Amino acid sequence: MKKIQILGSGCAKCKRLAENAEAAATAMGIEYTIEKVTEIAEIMKFGVMMTPALVVDGVVKVVGKVPDVQTIKGMLA
Amino acid sequence: MANCCGSNKTQASNVSCCGSEKKTVLLYACSGGANVAEIADKAARQLMFDGQGSMFCLAGLGAGIQGMIQQAKDADVNLVIDGCPMECAKKVFERAGVTNFAYLKVTDLGIEKKKGIRATDEQVNAVVAKAKDMLAKM
Repeated sequence: MKKIQILGSGCAKCKRLAENAEAAATAMGIEYTIEKVTEIAEIMKFGVMMTPALVVDGVVKVVGKVPDVQTIKGMLA
Repeated sequence: MANCCGSNKTQASNVSCCGSEKKTVLLYACSGGANVAEIADKAARQLMFDGQGSMFCLAGLGAGIQGMIQQAKDADVNLVIDGCPMECAKKVFERAGVTNFAYLKVTDLGIEKKKGIRATDEQVNAVVAKAKDMLAKM
């Protein structure tokens, strides 16, 4: 079970990143949970100072960008 | 605190909001003990307050904080300012596996490394000017 976390306040890019991550996980047929982390204090615990960011199983994969579905598949593999 | 990109959340000023369309420029300084390190540190802060980028924690990279390392890897520009030929900041970047950085060394501008003296405004301004020139070409 992959744990996907989207770090961000809920802005348009954060939503797009969540959509792309879900689309990638679904296309890969993997089991996953997705959590939106919106509290700044919690985001900063990851060492992230720019949002949105994608975290997979506790590892920060991308910061301040919205990768496409194909790129995210590589991050979930 | 400010509204973040149309969301109803507020955003602390120390977290950049939703990856703006501007280039992401991160600034790092060795911030060591000698005058040249103070110059590097003050120059990086001045560049930040002049709107050239955001100063980030070199110590975080040195400590191996994964999110901070990833953030540096994902930045459009990392400008690393070292004080002296020990090149500690550069080595921190290299050890962290972050290769996408521009580099500036205070002693390369003819400023002598000394312990026990303070940075002068003139020295800091010289580094800021050089850094701005470099950033303008990126």
